[in-house]
Parts: sequence; C-alpha cells; structure tokens
Amino acid sequence: MTDIPAPQPDPSASIEIRPSKGLLDLELDAIWRYRELLIVLTLRDIQVLYKQAALGVAWAIVRPVVAVVIFTVIFGNFAKMPSDGLPYPVFAFAAVLPWTYFAEAVRRAASGLVTNSELVQKVYFPRLIIPIAGVIAPLLDFFVAFVVLLGVMVWFGVTPSWHLLAVLPLLAVAALLGLAVGLWLAPVNVRFRDVQHTLPFMLQIWMYATPIVYPITIVPIEWRWIYSLNPMVGVIEGIRWAVVGKSNPDIVAIGIGVTAIGLLLIGGLIFFKRMERSFADVI
Amino acid sequence: MKHDIVINADHLGKCYRRDAASARPDSFRDMLAAGLGALLRGGRSERAGRDAFWALQDVSFEVSRGENVGIIGLNGAGKSTLLKILSRITTPTVGYARVVGRLGALLEVGTGFHRELTGRENTFLYGAILGMSRAEVARKFDAIVSFSEIEDFIDVPVKHYSSGMYVRLAFAVAAHLDPDILLLDEVLAVGDYTFQRKCMEFARQLEQRGSTILFVSHNMFSIKTMCPRVIYLKQGRVIYDGPTDEGLRLYESDSELSSARWFHPSKDPSLVITDIELCAEDGNQKTLFEFGERMRIRIAYRAFKPVERAHFLCSIKRSDELLCCNFSSYYDNLDLPRISGDGAIEVLTPPLRIVSERYYVTIAVREKGLQQLVAGQIGPSFHVRHDVINAADFGIFHEPAHWRVLNSAREEMESECERR
Repeated sequence: MTDIPAPQPDPSASIEIRPSKGLLDLELDAIWRYRELLIVLTLRDIQVLYKQAALGVAWAIVRPVVAVVIFTVIFGNFAKMPSDGLPYPVFAFAAVLPWTYFAEAVRRAASGLVTNSELVQKVYFPRLIIPIAGVIAPLLDFFVAFVVLLGVMVWFGVTPSWHLLAVLPLLAVAALLGLAVGLWLAPVNVRFRDVQHTLPFMLQIWMYATPIVYPITIVPIEWRWIYSLNPMVGVIEGIRWAVVGKSNPDIVAIGIGVTAIGLLLIGGLIFFKRMERSFADVI
Repeated sequence: MKHDIVINADHLGKCYRRDAASARPDSFRDMLAAGLGALLRGGRSERAGRDAFWALQDVSFEVSRGENVGIIGLNGAGKSTLLKILSRITTPTVGYARVVGRLGALLEVGTGFHRELTGRENTFLYGAILGMSRAEVARKFDAIVSFSEIEDFIDVPVKHYSSGMYVRLAFAVAAHLDPDILLLDEVLAVGDYTFQRKCMEFARQLEQRGSTILFVSHNMFSIKTMCPRVIYLKQGRVIYDGPTDEGLRLYESDSELSSARWFHPSKDPSLVITDIELCAEDGNQKTLFEFGERMRIRIAYRAFKPVERAHFLCSIKRSDELLCCNFSSYYDNLDLPRISGDGAIEVLTPPLRIVSERYYVTIAVREKGLQQLVAGQIGPSFHVRHDVINAADFGIFHEPAHWRVLNSAREEMESECERR
C-alpha cells in the first residue's frame, strides 16, 4: 500500500437500489461510465482469441478464404451462378467478409453472458457491456481479412474506388444489427442454453436468405421488397457496391434494413434491460 | 449525523423461485410455454409461484462512515445475498437501499482473471473489472506487484501460476482499489498464513483511512478482530444488530457447538453447573483475550445433595478438542470440605500463553478428590489473539526462553547482554 490519500466520499456517487425502474430507463449513461471496462473486455477478447493457436491471427484469413474457395467451386464453377459480371471469387469474397463478421458478432453477443457467467454472478457492471464488446472484438478479424480481399481484387484486375469509404458506415450498420439480434437472444440464452445450439442453423439459413453466393438480381422483382426486409440484404449489397463499385446500391433495401434495425435495436435494449435484473439469479 | 450514513438498507427482501434453475420441463412444448411465461413476466418472475423462497426478508440497517460491520449467520442465512444486493449484482424483490461513495465488492478473489493472459495483462483486466481506470492501475502497478510478491512471474500467463500466486495477485489488485465502502465475502480466508496476515493488515489500513467495511465471514476470530459491530442473519432476517461480543454469544449458542453443551454424568445429578463466565482480570466478561492475558473463570453451580471434598477441574481445549491445560482446585490445594445449595467459584488463571486460536472451556466436578465425577460441562468458547504466535508456527503455547551464546565470541556477547 502506498501513500494514497484517504478516500473522499463523493456524495454524488450515491447508488439507489430498488426493485424496479421505469420501462424506458435504459441507463445508457452507465455504459459511458464503464467505458474503461468495455475497452478492457474487448481487448481481452481480442488478445485471447488466437492464444495457443499455431496459426494465430492467420485464422482471421483462413476461415473466409476457405468459404470463398468452396463457394467459387460449387456455385461459381459447377452451378454457373451469375455474379454481376465480376470474377466470382471477388464477388463472393466481398460478401463473405461482412457476413462472417456479422455471424461472429451475433454469436458473441448472444452467448457472451453465459461465457462470462462468473463475472455476471460476482461483479456488478452494466450487463450491456458484454454484448457490445462481443460486437466490437470481431471487427479486427474483418479488417485483417479485408486487406486480403484488396489483394485478391488486385489479382483479378478489379480496382477499388473511392466507394470503399462507404464500407465503414455499412459495417457500423452490420454491427448495430448484430447487437440488436444479440440483445434479443442473450437474455433467452441465459435461461435456455438451446439458443447456443440453435444459433448455427439460424445463421446458416439467414446466410442463404442474403445475397452472398448469388446476386440479388436472381430474386424476382415482385418479391424484392419482402426479400429486402432482411436487413442484411441492404448491408451486403451495399458493401459489395462499395468494394467493387459495380451494381448500384439499393437505397430502398438499405433504408428498409436500417429502419428494421432501429426497431429491433430499441426493442432489444428494452428487453435486455428488463431481463438484466435476473441474470445473476438464473444464469 | 444523518449525512454520515453511507449504507442505508430499508426493508430489503429477496425472493427466489425454488424451481428457477432446477425445474426440468417434461417436453419441449412445456419448456417453451414456461420460457415464454418467464420472459413475459420479466424480472418479476420470482414473485410468482408457490415455491417462492425468501432468501432475505425485511432487512433494515444503517452503517455510518468508517464503521466496520461483520455479517454472521449459518450457511444459507442470506449473508451473500445481502452483499450481492448492496453491490447491485442482483436486485431486491422488495425494499430499498442507498449506498454513498465508491463501492468495492470482493465477493470472490480473482473473478474475471483469464488463464491465457499474463499476470500483467490480468492486473489491468481485473483492475477494470473492480472499477479502476487504466491510468489508475498503471499508477499503482508497481505497488500491486510488490504487494503480491510475484515480481518474477508477472509476464507469465497465470495458468502457470500456483493457486497461491493467483490469489495473491488478485488480492493485491483488489487491495489497491481504495474504496470508500468495501464489501468482503469470506475472501480473507484464502491463501497461506502470512498472506492472510497481510490481508488483515490491509483491512486495518483501510479502516484507519476511514473506509467502511462490511465483512461476511465464518471465521469468528477475524470478525472479532475487525468488527466492533455485527449483524446476525438467521433465515434471511436480522435477529441481532449490535456489539460483536453479544452477537457472537448469540450466534454460538445457536450453532451446534452449544447444542452439545450440557451433559450430566447421571440422570439424577447431585450437582449441576448453572453458569460459566469468562472475564478479563478486571472482572468484565469477554471472549477475545490477548496473548499473555489472565482470565477469570467464574463457575456457578447448584448442589442438590452435599458434595464432599469437591474438586473443580477447569480445562482449556483448542477448537479441535486438543486438551491444552488444566486448572485443578485439588492440585492447587483449595480446600472445599463440603458444598451444597447454590454457589459460585472463581479461578484466576496465570497469563495464558497459548497461541492465537479459538478455544473453549470445560468444567468437571469430582467428589472426594479424584473419585466420582458428579458434573461435567462444556463451557463457552473464546479466542486468544496474537499477530505472530499462531498454531502453524508455534505449536500450542509459547514462553520466552533463556538463551546463551557458547562460541568464542561468548564473553563479549555476554557482557553486552549484561549491559542491557
């Protein structure tokens, strides 16, 4: 113990503890007060991810590359899937990357409370931090693999344009969607671990409902609006446009997507906050 | 003085549904139905159901700044639930509480440590978990490492640590939290003896700087040394709140030790012990003695029939039933030709130089010197306190010995000793 001055209790730091608060009190300011913990937990997730793996961070590249190779062989070569006039590997890669990120973000946001159950039971902090950290950590993988994507594009003679900048806001939309879905699933997962087991199927189905291995143009025009209710449609098409610059971004699809995400996110926040109080007791 | 109340608990209650975690729905449909129901009822689901179980009920108390309060009670009495509510890990079902100041809660040492990370990385991680900023941990880092005594291993992943090292590092981080209010749940009971002493020392330093400590323990000895006040919880309710000595007496008379307390050699005893009091030399009752202090043991008895040449034998036994010493009226030549009716007898022990531990007193009464046992009783327990002289290092008792140096430098040394 060093000569640290005596603690000066700060009367403003008083905590009120009562059974229930208002439905709409989301305590988002608490996230700001605990931002250091958010940063540290995110860093921990990143540091730990590839510890004791011989390939280390190369896994961030291997996974999407393997997926792209498989898709190229099956859909590009055997099925002769149209690809908006792009080389199929570039076409697929530009969509697989944001999807891989999104799927990982959902998985982490939904299962983070259970993986960190020890913390939830023994330490107080705003529980929202865990899904938020889960959504931030896999961004690193995305950017590592993104560099590889640029290399692949150059190899196939596709030049990126200034559209590339649009990747960041679109990625942010994907992150918010991942968080929104995670906020709905995480409290259910605390009570029923079935979520963890069902999640891979759900994500698989969702992937095929999103234009990743095929272009949106093969969806009949009259069904397009229903199809666009899947918020990932706008995101994936948008990112593909931003990266390779061909085909126009579907503003309507992005608009529908963003609205859906907004509703999902607000509902998710309220649901999560409401369930948060019983996490430590049920987990 | 109202502004100096740092913890105010007002009729706190916590209700769990007994089936919350253990229920096994028969079918997937049942499970979905139950799950949906639970989700719709949200956080208040525990209010419903016949299997409601109140882990805490109607708990009210106030703690002033700088006060150290021990929370005692048997397992399941609600001690940990209370700390969890105060630290906001879980919410009360009913009631209200207010906590003023920076709160540090150590419900378990090392929660959140990650095995794959090094000691250094874990220090920052755990610091953040406990509520410290990165800058604050960085500033205190050297102090933390030297407190933990694992300088050489700070850059090794903690999965290679021994459990002792792990706990020491975790506690070192926690010790530098500098909270206004500290909630401790049994955490001082970890680690080896020297480290435990360090922890007690740490708690005392916090106390001196005016921190408030709420301390859950089963170790009555640490409760006694640290807390002048205890709150005794029984089945979720506060049944005592006040000075420690009285609270511990109540607790000990409730716990199993005292249920085996009375025994009589025969169904029709000629004499029973009615009371045993342990007092300081000045005659005040107490249960915590300093090493080397003398103890007055007062024994009240009722003799239904006259007892010839009574022999009172007062034994001190360690908590694990090891007989440490006897005080015998017979060997000390106290002449008691014949006793009858109500009476009392007192023995003043020599300075008790038994090591820091928990002990209890037993009394036996014999007739005609060493013959016929007429009464025997297990009496109250007490603690002897000393910072260094403990059972692990010093055995049972400790007396200063006389030393002499016998080598060539002997004469110089001896003359030096004499000068002193």
